[in-house]
Formats: sequence, structure tokens, C-alpha cells
Amino acid sequence: MTAFLIRRLVQAVIVLIVTSVIVFTGVFAIGDPLEILLPADASMAEREQVAESLGLNDPLPVQYLGFVTDALQGNFGRSFVYNRPATEVILERLPATLELTFTALVISLVIGIPLGLWAGVRAGSATDETIMTGSILGFSLPNFWQGMMLIMIFSVTLGWLPSTGRGETGTILGIETSFATWDGLKHLLLPAINLALAQTALVIRLTRTGVQETMPLDFIKFARARGISSPRILFVHVMKNILIPIVTVIGIEFGSLVAFAVVTETIFAWPGIGKLIIDSINALDRPIIVSYILIVVTMFIVINFCVDALYSLLDPRIRVSAQ
Amino acid sequence: MKRYSIGAMAALLVSVAMPALAADLTIGRAAEPSSIDPQFSRTGNNQGTAQLMFGRLIEQDANLQISPGLATEWTAVDDTTWDIKLRDGVKFHDGSTMTADDVIFSLERTDEVPNSPAPFSDMVSSIDSMEKVDDLTVRITTKEPAPALIEDIGRVFIISKAAAEGKTSEDFNSGDATVGTGPYKFVSFKPGESLTIEAFDGYWGEQPDFKEVEVRFISNDAARVAALLSGSVDLIDAVPPADVARLESQDGINVVSAASGRVIYLGLSQRFAQAPGVFDLDGKPLEENPFRDARVRKAISLMIDRQLVVDRILGGAGVPAGQLVPSVLGGHAEDLGPDQVDINKAKELLTEAGYPDGFGLKLYSSNNRFPGDGDLVQALGQMLTRGGLKVMGVEALPYNVYSKAASAGDYGAFVFSLGSSTPTSAPNLSSLIQTYDKEAGTGAFNRVRFSSEEFDKALSVALQEFDPEKRNELLAEATRIAFAQTPIVPLYWQKVFWGAREGITINGGLSEYTLAQDVKKTD
Repeated sequence: MTAFLIRRLVQAVIVLIVTSVIVFTGVFAIGDPLEILLPADASMAEREQVAESLGLNDPLPVQYLGFVTDALQGNFGRSFVYNRPATEVILERLPATLELTFTALVISLVIGIPLGLWAGVRAGSATDETIMTGSILGFSLPNFWQGMMLIMIFSVTLGWLPSTGRGETGTILGIETSFATWDGLKHLLLPAINLALAQTALVIRLTRTGVQETMPLDFIKFARARGISSPRILFVHVMKNILIPIVTVIGIEFGSLVAFAVVTETIFAWPGIGKLIIDSINALDRPIIVSYILIVVTMFIVINFCVDALYSLLDPRIRVSAQ
Repeated sequence: MKRYSIGAMAALLVSVAMPALAADLTIGRAAEPSSIDPQFSRTGNNQGTAQLMFGRLIEQDANLQISPGLATEWTAVDDTTWDIKLRDGVKFHDGSTMTADDVIFSLERTDEVPNSPAPFSDMVSSIDSMEKVDDLTVRITTKEPAPALIEDIGRVFIISKAAAEGKTSEDFNSGDATVGTGPYKFVSFKPGESLTIEAFDGYWGEQPDFKEVEVRFISNDAARVAALLSGSVDLIDAVPPADVARLESQDGINVVSAASGRVIYLGLSQRFAQAPGVFDLDGKPLEENPFRDARVRKAISLMIDRQLVVDRILGGAGVPAGQLVPSVLGGHAEDLGPDQVDINKAKELLTEAGYPDGFGLKLYSSNNRFPGDGDLVQALGQMLTRGGLKVMGVEALPYNVYSKAASAGDYGAFVFSLGSSTPTSAPNLSSLIQTYDKEAGTGAFNRVRFSSEEFDKALSVALQEFDPEKRNELLAEATRIAFAQTPIVPLYWQKVFWGAREGITINGGLSEYTLAQDVKKTD
């Protein structure tokens, strides 16, 4: 187990170094931040002053070495645009994204798993057809369009829910969150549903397939023969066996949702990191882009690790083979 | 179990949470400021935010024209000495009175804000020394005669010395140092989300119509429009031209429009002996640079139907242009209208220049910088083809990639834009078409490297003139000299739109700022 951990750690460090080089040179190659930061009537002297203070005059390798030296001391540079530590700018917006993603994930599981089970048990019935067709819509309609439709229906036409921003936040256990106020929850609902739609469709399909594959297996027949009730078979025995693929996919998807909830955050003006990264790429704010990507890579590494750990909890066979 | 207890706590907290503060006015703005520190960056977003809370020596109206602000009089004692008289009894938000010390402190801090990505340095670069004569008089000595000194230092936001001394830009974001003399007081700022402000009772000028104001930052166009339609905001800026007609037809919504100072132009690079992306009729790179011939540049200008571009591509959201700045700005040459299409004249000029059958070229543009930029370059391609040139390709790129290549001179013919943020055309003339000279610091954005000795001379004469009226005339004259040679091909000035719910309107103008103090009740 220790050897496994150490190998994982070494891999993670290599991935981080390679990523930083690629992103650093990539952003450098795209364009010149000065072109975007400076006002149209900036003079040569001002241009020089800015280039000097942001350290853009040095050749690329020198800039990179400086970055690595600082990064090893935990300093990922200051944002060109905001002149604040890049990690601070990112972490400040992370809670907003996390609560949005978490809510979306909960919605997709709460709706997706029961519907998937239902469709799987009644495969071929009208119910199954309806659920499956619905899930196709969840997949195939563009996220952007779904978001606009939600706004048009629930904000513009019905006027039930607000369409922009995070609303009033409160603090629970020292964390600022929308969960703490009614207004915050109302603001959270539409973007969370928007983010959850495709996710729900995915969960439905995974669950349905799992149920269909598991139901004909021998152990289910034996369970029936022993007289175990149908609900217990479905919710305990079948569920246990189909959760592994769901956990894997959801784990990875959670990472993607956190990192790339860009569309939803932009449409609903949600002050999270997805919106930040798009703005930063447009402004070529390199410290933010590099730190962001490194944070996301780290997050994926951690999530993958957690998923592996969950496997062994869910499946005794994996637990045994690991020991 | 844990989850249940958190849920229960959440339920508990919901009942004790603070009630939402209802603002009198909620504005949906497309762009957010990078900092609340008014001296951190002079990009439009930041200036348009700082003006809510901070005053300046001179005020600019919606069309950038100046009037006395915190300074009431400025007199030249001699060529390099100015006496600036300050307004009496101006209060800061903390109740203290503004004095010469605050003004000197503000001007001294201007070029010392660390890591500023767009410093105000140039505004104070002509100052040699400053001296407090009395509480309401500052004497400024300049390094060289600086006729436009007040226009320069007048753009610097005045902050309170007591509140801001030793403070960083971050202290402004949190509100600690955010003490100004403007019509609104800072309440809170949430990056990426909103800025909340409250009218300042002790403001020296006219009280704004709305007391509590929330400015929300909604960058997505469709979402901003939806927010207005759903009533969650009262006013939005940067209405996309495509949505203008729809908003106008909607009950309870009004659209306000203004011509902006942003000119969209076609640059024809005279920079290198060979122009990149310019070919002979067989597709081989052309040996000489045709754009170095003023007749070719004029010919291209004559091929473009500006009104058609404005009508068809922008849905009317533009004003055809024949020079850099629109008529409301100083230095506009009244007689210099946009070129009208004249294919025959264009042919003639091309023949004279030695290209009777035209030549081949590629056109470049950004695709996310301003509304319609990607379509614009397509249309230009067709117009130049109709005019007898062989357009061999049209390419539109994201601005962050495009801007670097355009400045590096990678494009022969390219579309670019330039905004105005000053009362006269002087800074734009200087940065866009004055001879590029790194040492002298002129022509910073002269990407085409146009150079005319006659124009440079006329411009420097204008810049030395002390009388504002006379200076504007001289600027117009310099503009005429330059545009006789078509330094760039001006296309149009953008129009900008605001959408407002019934009962309010905004006094918007060329500056494109969306200021809460400019929002008025109409009923």
C-alpha cells in the first residue's frame, strides 16, 4: 500500500511539472498581455513601466525559472489584472463553484438513480421509453441553450426564480455559502439544475444498464429463491453491484464540473472559478491561468485517489486483492 | 448522521439569516473593474467604476467634455508654473474636508501604485514639483511647458490622504481606504459578482436620484438581457445590437443609444518593404509594399461602403467615419466626412500607382473584440473584390492572439479599433498616427507605421498651444493634413446601447460609462 502511495505521489509531481511547462509556454505563445491590459492611449513609457513591473521583459526560460522558484515557496505569482496573489483570487471563488457543483451532483443522484432503477426494472415498458427519451434530451441539448431556456421560463415568463448572481450569502461553520439564506438558495436553484441536467441523464443511463446487466445474474435468482423481497433485492443487492461504475464516472465528472462549469457560470453570472478562468484566458492573465490549471490537475489527482479508495469500500473483492 | 446535523443547522441558520437588502436601483454591467483602487488601472471599466465614488480636479461629462470639478480655477503663472485653486468645503465620505494635501498626495501616488497594469503615469509625467501654497491652492511646476496639464492631472482620482496613506490596492477593495469625494459611498465589493454603493449626503454637487445602488456584473450578453427582461435588474449596459429591436418592442423597456468614441478602422501596414499577406496576381508575395503609396490607401478607402456595413452588419449601430474622433470631441475636423464609394476613382488611383489590375491580399480581424468584427472583415473582403482587388483570404482570430500579431506587424491589412477617453483627439492622434519613435515615446499604437513629417510638426504645434479653442482648431488642421494621405482607413464609430425599465433613463454618452449618478427617474 505504501509503495502504491509513493508511486502515485511521484506520478503526481511529474504531471504537475509537465503541466506547468506546457501551460506556461502555451500562454506565452498565445499573445502579449500588454496588448490587452494597456489602455488605447498608453504611451511608450507606460508600456515599459508595466512590462518591467510585471516581469514581462525577461526571456521565457528566466520567467519560468522565477515562477518555479516562487512556486516552491508556495507563491504562484500575482494576477496581472487584479494584482493579488493568484491562488487567493482562485480560492476566493472556489466555494461558489463547489456549492454549485455539489448541489448539481446531489440533484443528479437523487433524480437519476431512482429513475434509472425504475427504467432498468421495467426495461422495454412505456415508462422505460419515456425516461430514456428524456435522458437523450438531457444529453443532446446544448448546456448553453438549456440555461437560456431555464431563464426564459422560470425568470422571464414565470418570474419565480432569479437568473443572475449568487444572491444573499450567509455563513455556516465559518464558510460563506448560499445554503444559509432563502435568497441564496433561490439563486442557486436554476444554475444547479442547468448543471445537473446532463449529469442526471448520465446517471440514469449508467444505472439502467447496470440494473439490466445484474438482474439476470445467478445471485439474484438465488436471492429470489431464498424469498428475499423485491425491493430489498433491488435496493441492496443490485445497488451494491452497480455502484462501482457510477462512482467512477461521477467522480471524474465531479472534477470536470468543478473545473469547467464555465458555460453555466457565465450564463447565470455565478461568481465561480469557471467564469474566472475564461476571463483570465481572454486577458492572458498568466499567473491565474497557470495556478488554476495546477489546482485543477491536483484536484483530479485527489479525486481519482478517492475513487480508488471508494472502490475498495464498495467491493470486498478489491479490498481483498489489495491486501 | 453528519449530513443530517449539517442539514438541521442550515435550516436553523436560514431563519436567522440577514434579510436581503433591497437596492433602489440595480444595474447589470457587462464588465467588472479589476480593482476599486481608483489609481490602479485606467482602463474604461475601472474609470467608470471609480467615478461613482471619487471626484477629480476636473469633471468629464458623458461626452468627455470637461468642466471644473474639485479644482475651480487653473492659471498659468508662467510657461511652466500653474496655480490650481481647489473648491472650498468639499467633504470626503468620512466627513473630513479635502485640502491641498490630499491633492498632492493623490498626484504623488499616481505613478507609484505597484504592479499597475494600466498606470496613470502619463497624467503626471510632466510634473516637476508640487507645492502647497495654502489649504486650497496647489502650485505645480512642470518640466516643460504643458498647456494641457489640467486635462492630464484632471483625470487622476483624488483620494483621502488620511485614509489611503500607506494602504495597498487591496485596502480599497475591502473598503478600508475607499474614501473619496464622489456622489456615492462604498458599501461592499464582491469580485465577479457585485458592487454596492450608497449616495453620499455630503456630496458637493447634485444629489443623485437613487440612494442605494447595486451594480451586478453579468458578462454574458444573453444573460444580461434576460436579467433586464425578468426584472432582476433595472438597467443594463452594452445591449448587443442584435437585441436592440427586440428590447424596443418590449412593453416596459426603453433603449437609450449613444455614439461612442471607438473608431473601427482598417490598417494598411506601411511598416516593411514587403507587406505581409500581399501578393501579385499569381499569388506570389508582392515585391514592393503597395500600402506605402497613399494613392493605394485612398483607393481602398473609396471601395468601402460604410453605410452598408453599418446597416447590414451592425443593424444600424454605427456612424460612418472619416477621421479618428466623432464631432463631439475637440479636434474633430468638420469638413472631413467619410469617403463615399467611388469604384471608378479607386481604379484610376490604382492605375496611377501602377496596379491597373489590382493585386492580391489577405484581410485579418479579431472575432471577439467588438460586435460584428468577424462579419465586418468578410464584408470588407467582398467590397475590395468588387473594387478590383483579389482578396485571397479572410481570417478572424480571438483578440488575445490577434492583438499580439497585429502589433508585431504580422498583418498587411487588418481591422482594429481605438477608443477615446479624452476630451480631444490629441492622445489618439499621437498614439495612432504620429511617427513611431520608441525613444520619444510617440506612436505607441501606430501599428501601420504611418509617418508624415508635416503631420508630426502640425501636431506638436497644436500640443504647445495654451488656448483650448485654438488648440482644437490646430488639432483639426493636423487631422486634415494626415487624412489627406489616408494614414488608416476609418470605417465607423460604434454606437452603444443601454436598456432600462420604464420610468428610468440614463444620460449615456461617448464615454460608454454606466454611472449610477447619470441614471434619472423619468416619472
